[in-house]
Amino acid sequence: MSTTSLPPRVDATKKRVPSWLIYSLLTIALWGIWGATSKAVASDINAYMNQVLFTIGLIPLLFLVIRSPRLAGGKNRRRGIFYAFITGILGGAGNILFFTSLTMGGRAAVVVPMTSLSPLATVILAFLVLREKISASQIVGLGLAFVAIYLLSL
Amino acid sequence: MHFPLWLLFALITLLFWGTTGVTQKLSTNAISTELSFLWFVLAFIPIALAILLIVPLDWHLKTRVFWLAVIGGALNGLGAMTSFKALESGGKASIVIPLCYLYPLVTIFLALVFLHEKVTRVEVLGIALALAAAILLSREAPPEEPTDK
Repeated sequence: MSTTSLPPRVDATKKRVPSWLIYSLLTIALWGIWGATSKAVASDINAYMNQVLFTIGLIPLLFLVIRSPRLAGGKNRRRGIFYAFITGILGGAGNILFFTSLTMGGRAAVVVPMTSLSPLATVILAFLVLREKISASQIVGLGLAFVAIYLLSL
Repeated sequence: MHFPLWLLFALITLLFWGTTGVTQKLSTNAISTELSFLWFVLAFIPIALAILLIVPLDWHLKTRVFWLAVIGGALNGLGAMTSFKALESGGKASIVIPLCYLYPLVTIFLALVFLHEKVTRVEVLGIALALAAAILLSREAPPEEPTDK
């Protein structure tokens, strides 16, 4: 990436790139590499084995957070833990339902692009539940993103 | 009328995956990324155990396949952690999640460079739209918005 248009060092007091954006770009990079690894093994293992091996890969990551002082505290621990756990359950259960759909006669050419549009549900729920407000250019961005996500999943 | 079961399962998948974006945000509104991530990972263990109990698995795998799948889980998990962090840092679920789902951009690039796969015309269009979308999504809403309702 070219950085010629940016000053060589971004002053911490007036940083231009918000941290949520940096973490989002990191997520794109990590999930992008994961996409390549799962492509590479897709034809060699079934979905259930993949889910088990996936979990084996997740568990060592607990060591990254297990000694963090940030495990203590929080505005509402019970609520936060509930939603975090639900996130994992919905994610994992979603994986299994996705593969079940494929084994029940759903064609990958239909099921994959359809389920790839799950952020559409996120956006709708975020408006309804979280009452999030976004800018006009972000609304255009969302429209383009959904077309892009769909096309890239084909 | 016949509503195929696979379609129902696909729709529930869409709903489940889509909901995770909001539950992630609700979680980081209440606790740190670290504690959220800890419980997110713990939730995968009962699912894996259920599979081990119910589904007969063939463990005769090539070493390469085994490790790629395990590393894939770790990479996906790290990405989950950074997405929690993006939400904890003030990112909106309605922006962060669609933005993160542009990740096939990177996958296609890697497949092009390392697996020497060809990029299709549809993918080229998808990549162009994804880049434009990413730029537009990263423009934050003005901090003060008139709320007249």
